[in-house]
This record gives sequence, structure tokens and C-alpha cells, in this order.
Amino acid sequence: MGEVFSVLRQPLVLGNKTYADITDDVCGPLEKGASLSWWIAFIVSVGVLILGALSVAYQVMTGVGVWGLNNTVGWAFDITNFVFWIGIGHAGTLISAILFLFRQRWRTSVNRSAEAMTIFAVICAGIFPILHTGRPWFAYWLLPYPNFRGPLWVNFRSPLVWDMFAISCYLTISALFWYVGMIPDLATIRDRTKSALRKKLFGFFSFGWDGSNRTWQRYEKLYLLLAGLATPLVVSVHTIVSWDFATSVIPGWHTTILPPYFVAGAVFSGFAMVLTLMLIVRKVMNLEEYITLHHIEQMCKVIIATGGMVGLAYMTELFVAYYSGNEYERFAFINRALGPYGWTYWVMVGCNIMVPQLFWWKKIRRNPGIVFALSILINVGMWFERFVIIMTSLTRDYLPASWAGFTPTIIDLTTLLGSFGLFFTLFLLFARFLPMIAIGEVKGVVRYGKGRSELKPLEPRKEGALEQTLVG
Amino acid sequence: MSHEHHDHDEAMEPVQEFSRRSFLKLAGFSFAGTALAGCQQSNLENAIPYLLRPEEITPGVPYWFASTCRACSAGCGVLVKNRDGRPIKIEGNPAHPVSRGGLCAIGQAAIVSLYDSQRLNGPLLKGSPSTWDQVDAEVMTELAAIKNSGGAVRFLTGSVTSPTTRGLIGRFLASFKDGRHGEYDPVSSSAILDAHQYTHGSRLLPRFRFEQAETIVSLDADFLGTWISPVEFTKGYRAGRSLEGSGQKFSHHTQIESRLSLTGSNADERIIVSPDEVALVTSRLVALVSSRAGRSAHSVSPNLAEHLENRLTGIADRLWQTRGRSLIVCGTNDLGLQVQVNLLNDLLGNYGKTIDVENPSYQCRGDDGELTRLIDEIQSGSVQALFVEGVNPLYDLPDSTALKEAFSRIRLMVSFAERVDETSETARVVMPQPHELERWNDAETVAGIVSLSQPTIQPLRDTRTLGESLSVWLGERHGAYDLIRQEWERSVFRRRNQERSFTAFWNKTLHDGFVEVEGQGVKVKSLKRDALHPRSSSPKPVAEGAFALVLHSSLTMLDGRHAHNPWLQELADPVTKIVWDNYVSISETVAANLGIGEGDVVTIQTEEKGRLELPAHLQPGQHDRVLSIALGYGRKGTDRFIDVGPKWLQAKPTVAPGELVGVNAATLLRFENGELAYTNLSVTIAKTGRKHPLASTQEYHSLTNPDLLGGGTGERRPIIQQTSFAAYAKDPSAGSFRKHEIESLWPDDHQYDGHRWGMAIDLSACTGCSACVIGCQAENNIPVVGKDEVGRNRELQWLRIDRYYDNENGELSVSHQPMMCQHCGNAPCETVCPVLATVHDSEGLNQQIYNRCVGTRYCANNCPYKVRHFNWFEYPRGDELHRMVLNPDVTVRERGVMEKCSFCVQRIQLAKIEAKNEGRSLRDGDIQPACQQSCPADAITFGDMNDPESRISRAMTEPRFYRVLEELGVRPSIGYMTLVRDTEDSESRPSANEKGAGIHG
Repeated sequence: MGEVFSVLRQPLVLGNKTYADITDDVCGPLEKGASLSWWIAFIVSVGVLILGALSVAYQVMTGVGVWGLNNTVGWAFDITNFVFWIGIGHAGTLISAILFLFRQRWRTSVNRSAEAMTIFAVICAGIFPILHTGRPWFAYWLLPYPNFRGPLWVNFRSPLVWDMFAISCYLTISALFWYVGMIPDLATIRDRTKSALRKKLFGFFSFGWDGSNRTWQRYEKLYLLLAGLATPLVVSVHTIVSWDFATSVIPGWHTTILPPYFVAGAVFSGFAMVLTLMLIVRKVMNLEEYITLHHIEQMCKVIIATGGMVGLAYMTELFVAYYSGNEYERFAFINRALGPYGWTYWVMVGCNIMVPQLFWWKKIRRNPGIVFALSILINVGMWFERFVIIMTSLTRDYLPASWAGFTPTIIDLTTLLGSFGLFFTLFLLFARFLPMIAIGEVKGVVRYGKGRSELKPLEPRKEGALEQTLVG
Repeated sequence: MSHEHHDHDEAMEPVQEFSRRSFLKLAGFSFAGTALAGCQQSNLENAIPYLLRPEEITPGVPYWFASTCRACSAGCGVLVKNRDGRPIKIEGNPAHPVSRGGLCAIGQAAIVSLYDSQRLNGPLLKGSPSTWDQVDAEVMTELAAIKNSGGAVRFLTGSVTSPTTRGLIGRFLASFKDGRHGEYDPVSSSAILDAHQYTHGSRLLPRFRFEQAETIVSLDADFLGTWISPVEFTKGYRAGRSLEGSGQKFSHHTQIESRLSLTGSNADERIIVSPDEVALVTSRLVALVSSRAGRSAHSVSPNLAEHLENRLTGIADRLWQTRGRSLIVCGTNDLGLQVQVNLLNDLLGNYGKTIDVENPSYQCRGDDGELTRLIDEIQSGSVQALFVEGVNPLYDLPDSTALKEAFSRIRLMVSFAERVDETSETARVVMPQPHELERWNDAETVAGIVSLSQPTIQPLRDTRTLGESLSVWLGERHGAYDLIRQEWERSVFRRRNQERSFTAFWNKTLHDGFVEVEGQGVKVKSLKRDALHPRSSSPKPVAEGAFALVLHSSLTMLDGRHAHNPWLQELADPVTKIVWDNYVSISETVAANLGIGEGDVVTIQTEEKGRLELPAHLQPGQHDRVLSIALGYGRKGTDRFIDVGPKWLQAKPTVAPGELVGVNAATLLRFENGELAYTNLSVTIAKTGRKHPLASTQEYHSLTNPDLLGGGTGERRPIIQQTSFAAYAKDPSAGSFRKHEIESLWPDDHQYDGHRWGMAIDLSACTGCSACVIGCQAENNIPVVGKDEVGRNRELQWLRIDRYYDNENGELSVSHQPMMCQHCGNAPCETVCPVLATVHDSEGLNQQIYNRCVGTRYCANNCPYKVRHFNWFEYPRGDELHRMVLNPDVTVRERGVMEKCSFCVQRIQLAKIEAKNEGRSLRDGDIQPACQQSCPADAITFGDMNDPESRISRAMTEPRFYRVLEELGVRPSIGYMTLVRDTEDSESRPSANEKGAGIHG
């Protein structure tokens, strides 16, 4: 990647790294055995994943009735988890695509992990629409595929079908974007490794990367194009997800504000999750010089902004409910805040509106411990936001005789936990086997924020062809 | 011959003229032939395909038998639908003069008891299986000995409505020196009969003609729900409240009661009094009416509260104005009270008009006095042989421990029962009785209307009717068929002078299911008012701090005889909406004071030893000093329902291990002045600290939003249109919600070129009796899901009845609204289904395609009426025998798919095929969905909205017609008709602040 300089801005990488240091810092851990902390984290995650997998197996064998749903509340944890995970993914795409197009250089040290997070979150999310069906073995009927049953087609008017397109599209583009961005780094690993198997594997997946000027040029063009392709997804995917609710007739669901509201919420929650992950990663993987307090601060600022949008959405919703004059709509929102599940609403408001306000203080923004705690609170708040929208709207809709409550079962909880198990298992595997930081990109900003006088001439390395291609 | 049932009278030709041809016909008719051949018992274990197909039977085409319902003693006419040799549904017989096509929930649910594998199979001798020869020998030896010694032989039965059985019992007992027959009804109306003995000189139950009455005053009589003959009374009540066409009439119904009964929930005016006040109110009414009749009353006028006095004066005025066209009924089993009611009805000239004593009812013949004598005899040890049939004295009578001990001392005790119950457990000999659909039987429940029951299936169990057994013991050995035929030839045929030959008469009756003959000419004395000294009836008011306990029968269990019926156990009580339990109902305010919450287990303690522990239910509209408990629960063997419902990690069994469904409240019954007393027992209540969650199909009970913001009540939702009759008379569209003109930007998706099905439900007619719920369950193979699943709000019944409590001018107003799939023209469910599993058809049906459904439940979420039901599990459907009740026309749904009301699409198809075969077009009324068919109130109209002449089209043009949530633009095909009640306008209504009229949130 082209190297960029700035004497005005803060440095993005600390500790006077040389290119060789960067390569060593990123690739080194992949070539050694895993650390104890990785193993502990991995075993815990896999344990939780197995718990979730057993719950899912039990549910598929027994029926959706093992969840706490009922005839009035047909969706609760399942679709909440789905929307939550999809939302998480959005920060990754925003960081890797939109910030790339906006030339926000600080993204370089977090974009790889953030994208990985996107993909794993979308995988976690994608499980729920399949699992929530009564007959998951027929979930493929949601795909418009040629068949001999008529042929039977899907219902293109159904937002669930739109969802299916949106999610599969999102997963494909994100995976492609992530993978393409990783190719130069895969080649670096290929070139460094001593194991024949790794050489072969990474050789295959790096597409015979030769590091030539022409390769870099093409690579950068492709990366730019993919960034352009991924950018609308940040807006479209969660917009489409919100249509599941917005196009319905249920008070509390049926509102036009949902698309922007969901997108802002998605970015908000995604950044919280990126923070949660990055704060662990920089500590555990010794990447504090790459993911600096400056990065954390930046992300906190995004959270203040998106949190503000979410707060605005909450208030707009309340106002519109009042202003619409629609008694069902009014009641839905009064009930949300003051009804039997009012506490969930206040958890949501507390975590999503109050908590981000703390980020106005620089001291808080630069305190990783506090930021970590707050980021988790925001994650909780955003899970509750979806839960509030989905569940409380369903509990009390039009006919009072059909009103009902919802109580989660053990399986509801273990399935939710299991999705976290899956997410962290995938993320830990990623951290163990793939470069967590975009080596090539970080090298481009290594001298960012440093004065001209500090710039040392580059020393070409023998084994890595990468540095030679850097355009000065 | 009505068009509903096909020609099959020939098939029932007498067995004596047996030809090969008729044999085949008979074989086709469910092998009824074997039943005709007498007492032969054969075991048919394999289904054998027809080698030669009987002419009348087309596999897959249903055929019908006319029969008589025996689920209670009312004796409604039924049509039994058979498919391929097995009965699958019971419906009301529209031609039957008692029930006129209506059939209650219990009658329709009786079909499932037929396939109950726990019914007795073969006789029991001393508790172990035996053979008929052995038990016959045993009984006859003992009887011979008793006959020689001149010992007392007693029959203890419920009301015997069968003339044949009655005759046989009489003949049997006559063969002994000391033989007597005692009848009692576990939910007794004996005092009514005794009162007529006292006032009219004849112990009879009059036939109440609600259709003739313009003013109805009911004192604690739940005549629309459980009292004597609810279907007949509902039909009559409905006929007296007709808003259609020119024959508009509207009776005024006042309910004076202590708990909220189904009847009370429908009343125009409801007065909440405690049970001891009922007598005072009645005396006061007698006094008020007497003074209007220019006579002085015998009874002293009690002092009543002013607001009560005002209301009674109003009632007396109304009664007097409509004298001869009014009706006062009383459900309290108290002789003094009933005598006063007779006096009132006589003062008003209602006898011979709204009350028929010339052709009385035989629906309840129980004699509590006789019962008391019999019990005394049994306890004194003088009874040598006791035969028990149709009742369960060790369950439904008080003091069962002493009685059980006395029973064990009887030399020969024979129980005729369908299953081993509390009583037959102690009997030496248990004679299993066939289900009503397996046997011949007859019934005269109203003088002059004699009905027949005929077998519709080869008996599934090794059983023998009471009549056959008596015939054997009398040394005659006649089959049930012969016995009835002989009896009919001897007596019933003589009472009719139309047919020449008995065979023609018999065949016609068998086809129709009933025959109208001359009544038996009851001679009644005219009432001598002056000679009448109303027996003192001054129930002592309950002590301070105590409560008056009211025991009542529930609409599902009656006296407990249907406790083994899972459909009825899972049918929500029409008022409380609770399933699978009985409970003590307590007024909300009192419960709040005592700190009792819904589902708290409480102890009910009488002044004597009586003690019950059961959960509490907070009930609006209940008198503050009254606790009420339903009878019929806690039956032996109901622990079987531990297996009902799906099994999974957090499932709770419907019945806790070692427990029964509910508790038996009959232990708190007592005899008072020679009658079984159900009300006004003084009890105390105390919390135990335990909880027993009650499962209810409805969690929120008001049309008014909960007041979450504080400061005033919430908004009332425009779901039920309601108005007073006065306002309706002025403006037929009174009470209508504002109509919205909804314009669409889109062209109509659907053209509806041919038919377009629609339904109208008249909320003024609907009483909430829930017959339609069971009709739908039977028709559409809806499984029972168990208490836990209902508690989790996962009941599967396609049709529910929403019951709302509302506070109107300080008084409780109750409304019932049947709610099922509205078959919307712009169905929100259809657009959201990703796989097109729910689609609109060209005739306006919203169809659910089970095998395409993947179960996203999006459709259910997006349904504004929440009428879609999901198969959360693979629900167990009982054993193989139980599954025989399934309707082959309707798919049995697997787990993971959505289901809902289909407008009985299978019936639509059948009617179309029939019309096509007959080369005609469909006529209005050809298609009746299951809910409509048996509705005792005729509240449901179904038909083609494209046919301008159809009844549904006419209903839709009525000003009362409206659609629920019309403003959403979903264009439902079901509409409702404004609920009209003859309530007073708010200005003229006294501002009586009745107790317990709170709203239960």
C-alpha cells in the first residue's frame, strides 16, 4: 500500500517500528505455539459453543417449543439474536470499506480484525433464521432454486426473502473483501514459513502473489472496487432487516423510521463490539503499539455520534407515536416503557443513551478498562433494543384477549450463549492462524504522524520483497 | 326426511327378515347387525376390506345416523357422522324439536369418549375380570336368595329418561317383595319438582319456554350454561331476542346471582346478591308482584338496601306489565324458594304460557327426599342388593366415607359403569356399559317427544346395556334392540295415530331420530294461592368474617361425568377462561384485602369437618361474601392426564404425580331440608402459602388499555360494538364505530368471479357457550396440548372466544367474541410468508398449505387478530384407539407448521361435489362450517358474499354489521353484529355501585 505521511496528526503506530518489526510482530505469533491465554480462551469458547450446539440439536429434534415463544410472541430470542449479530457485523464493513474510501488511515490496524468480526457475526446471525423455522430441514425453501414442485417459487413480497438475499449478499461480499485484503499478508506468511504444509496452503491461498508493482496496482484497484461494493451494504443490509418489522402491521413494528434507526444502531453496536474485541486483542496479542489509545478514542467518538443518532431515533419514535394519534401506536410505546416489560426498555435507554455520554470525557476514552466495561454495556443495551422492539411489540398488539407474555427457557439462553461461543471460537481461530493486522497497510502508516526529521531511510530486507514495492 | 342424512332407513330393517342383501347393508352400517343380533359378543380385531362393497357405502363419503345425545339428561337430537365404519363427529339434529339443531360443547365432545381405551372391557367380579356367564350366575344366585328372604332390592340411578329402561327397572323390581328405584341428579333440581308437588299436586319439572318470555328473571339459574337443558333454553332465549327482519322482539333478562355465571354474563341487567339474599329478594318480589295483583303477600317484606329495593321495584313493574309473557326461574335447590317462585309465576299468569306443566320435562327426575331415605336404608344395613347406574354416589354425594363403609356391607352391589369409578370400585359386580354411540337406547326427555339412539359402530369394548342385563336376570335374554322395539310397539306407537304399521312408524322414527307423540296427559291441580303457605325459607346469613360457599356445575365437567374427556378438560371455562383445573373464585376486592393472588392455594374450611385445598381465582362480578367452586373435578383416574401434552425439558405435567385434575368439591355438599344444598355453606378461607398456577387461555381481560400513565383510565379499544336496545330501536346503527373510508393505491389482487365466502357473527346472539370451539376441534383434528402448554399460551384451538370484562357506569359488563381467522382480503399473513405457504384463493379463503410451511411464524406475528396457531411440538394424539376419532378429510399437522381456521374448506368442497353430482348450483346454506352447524344460539351465518340473496349478503347490509380492526385495511371476510342488550340508558340507570364490578387486568 502506498505510504502516507503526516506531520500534523498523531502517530498511528507507536514504538518506532521498522517494517521488519511489523512483519515479525504480526507473523511471529502465528509461527509459534499458542499462548496459555489463547488456550484458556479457546477452551472456554468451544465449551460454550458445544453447549449451544447441544441446545440446537435438542431444539431441532424436539421442536421450537423448547424456546419460550407462544402463539402471540412468535419471535423473541431467535430474531433478536439474528438482528443483534447482523448489527455487530456492520462496524467491520464500515471500518474496512467506508473508512477506507474516506481515507481514514487509523483504520489500518483494526480493519482486518473488524472484518473478521463482521464475517463471524454474519455467520452467527445467519444461523438464527434457519433455526427459528419450525422445520429447519426445509429452510432451503427460502431460496429461489429451480425445482420440480410446480416449480414453486419464493414469495418475493416477503421481507424474509429480502433478508435472505441481503444476508447472503453481505456474507459473500464481506468474505471476498476480507480475503482479497489478506492476500499480500498470506504471501508474507508463505514466504516466512518453514513448514511445507503451511507453505503449500498459504501458497495456494495467496494466489501466487509475487509482490510486483503490477500485482500491487491490480490488487489496490480491486480492493478499492470491493470497498465501493461493500459500502452500500452497510446501509442496505440493516435497512432490509428492519423491513421485517417496518412492513408489518404490528404497532411498534410498523414505523418508517426503522431503516435509519437500525443502521445507526448497527454501527453503534458494531463499534462497541469492535472495541470489546480490540481491547482484548491488543492486550493478549501484545498489539498495544498498533492498536493504540488513539484508535480507541476514535472509535469512542464514533460511538458518541451513532449513540446520539440512536437516542434521537428513540425520541422520534415516541414523538411520532404520540403525534400519529393512532391509539394502538401510542399504547405500544407507552407499554414499551411502562408495561410489564418496561425494565427492558430502561436497560436499553440506560445502556444506549446514557452510557455513551461518558465518552465525552477524554479521560474515559483513554482508559481501556472503563472503555471495555462500557462497550460491553452498549452490547447489552443493543441486544435489549432488538428484544424490546421485537418482543414487547408482539406481547400486546391489537386484541387485548390475545395479549401474552414471554419468558425465556433454558434453551433460549444456552442458544444465545452458544452463538457467542461460536463467534469467539471463530475469532480465536482467526487470531491463531491468520494475520490479525493488515501488514502491508500498517507499513504504509508507520511513519504517519511523525516529523520529517524522524524519518529514517528504509532498510531493504532480504527475505521480504514486500517493502521494496512501497511507493515513497 | 331431512336432506342432511342420507337414505338409510331400509338398512335398519328388522333383523327377523334377514336376507343376504340386507346383511350387506347392515354390515356396511358399521356392523350394527351384530348389535341387533342380541347379546352375542364378538371380537373383531382386524379391519377387513370389503369383498363385496355394500351399495350405500362409498369409501370416503360420510353417512349420517340420527341419534340422541346422552352426555347429560337433556336429550338433544344429534346426527352422527360416520366415515368408513367409524363415527367421527356428533352434530345437532336440526329437525329435533328439543334442541333444534343445537348441540353443546359436551355433546359434541362425547365422541372422543367413545375411543377411550380406559373404558371397561368385560365385566368385573370382585374387582377382577370375569365373564358375563359368571357374573350373571353370581348375580342371579344372590338375587334368588334375596328374593326368598324378601330382602330389600334398590336401584340407585340418575334421571332415567329412557322409557324402556324405566319399564325394565320397574319390572325387575316388581319381581321382588321389596324393590324400589331411587333417582337423583348429582346437580339436583329436585326442589323444583317438589315445589310443584306442593303447589300443583304433581311432582314434575315444567318445560320452560324461554321463547315466549318477554321478561326473564333468573335467580341463580345458569340456564344458558349448565341448568337442566342449556341448548334448548339457549335456542328459546335466542328466539325471544331476535333483531332480524320484521319479527323484531327482544326479551329483557335480569340475572340475580352471587357469582358470575355464563348466563349472568349475557344478562341485560345483573344484580349481585349473596345466596342468603336470594330468598329475601324472592320474598320481596312476591310481595311487590302481589301488591300489583291486588293481593296481600304472605311473606313479610324484608328490609333491603335502597338501591336493591329500587331495582326490584323496577323488575316487579316490568314483570307485571308483561304478565303472561314473563318467566321466573330459580336455580337454587331449595323447596321454600322454589314454592315462592311458583307462586310468582302463578301470580303473573305464566303457567300455561311460558311454563308448560301439561307437557312437562323429564330431563331431571331426581328426588332428593327419596335419595335421603335410600341412604338411610343403606346405612341402616337393611338393603340387600343395590344396583347403581348413571351416578357415582361415592363421588358426587357428601359424606362418602360413611357411605362407602355402608356400601361395603351390602350383600350384593352391582355397578353399571363405563369405567371403574369411585363407586364401582366398591361394587361386587361391575357391568360395563357401552358408549351411547355403540348401543340402542331411547329417551323421552320432554313429554311427547321420544327419541331413539342407535349404534353407529360395532362395540369397541365388551359391554352390555343395563336393559340387556336386566332382561337376562329376568330370564328373558332379549337384546337391547328387541327390548326397545317391543317397548315402543307396546307404548310409544300407541301414543301416535299416524302410521298404520309399526314397521313404517319405527323406520321413520329411526331415520328421524325422534317422534312426536301425545304427551302422557299430566293432570295438574290449579294452584290455590290462598291455601298456599310458602314454606319458610329463611337461610341463615353466614357469620361475620365467614363466606358463603356456592358449589356449581361447570359447563365442561357438569357433575364430573366428563372428567375423562380431554377435549372438555381443555375447553376454557366460558367465563374464567381457565382450563384443566377447578378453583375457588373470590371477589377481587376481598382477595386484595386478604392478600390472596391468582393461583394461591387456599384452604376452605367449613364449620364442620369439611376442608378443601385448592387454588384461588380472582373473579370480577362475584359477591364479596361469596366463594364459589365448580363441581365435577378430582375424579378418580384423571391422573391419567399426566401423559397429555408434549414432553420436553421444561414441560410440567398437566397433573402433578399422584394428583387428580382439580379437587372434588362435592364433599362439601350437604342435605338441607331434605334437598341437596349447593349454596350458602358458611366457610372460612386461609392462605397456605403454596402456589398452583392456573392455566388460562386469556391473560388480559378488558377492552380498556391498562392505565400505565396513571391519572384516569386507559382508552377503550374499538373491538366490540355495543348498544342498548332502546338506542338500537331508534337507530339501528347505534353503537357503531366510526367507519373509515380506505382507499388503496393498488388494483385489487383478487377478482372473486365465482363464490366469495364470508361469515357474520351476531354478538347479540352469541352466549359464549363454546360449543363452536369443540365443534371446530372435532372437525379439524385439533390435538389437546395439556395444561402447561395452555399456560404458555400455546393452545391450538382454531376458534377461541374472547371474553372481555368492562366497567360500564359502575357495573360489570361482559362480552363474548368468537375469534378465528378472519380470511382477510388483504391478508397481512400472506405477504410475509417467504415460501407462499399461506395464500389467497379465488373464493376469498386464506389458505394454509401445511406441507409448504417451514414455520417462520412471521404470519402469526403479523396477524392483527393473533388467530394463527403454531405446532410447537409433535403433539401426542393418544393411543391408536383414540386416533380413530380423526377426521380423514383434514390433514393431521406435523410439528413446525402453522395452522388456523380454514372456513372448513373440506365442507365447502364436499358441498360443491354434492351439488355438482346433483347437477345444480350451490344453494345458500349448503355449506355450514362446524362452528355454525351446532351453534345453539344460531349466532353464526356463513355463505357466499357474491350471492346478493344469501343470508350472509343480507347480514352484511344490516346496520349492525361491522368488521373488527377494519381501519387496518386488511378487509376481513368475517364481520360481527353489534352486541345489543336491553340495558337502560346511562342517564336513567341508578348509580348503584355494585360490588366486585372491577376490571381484572
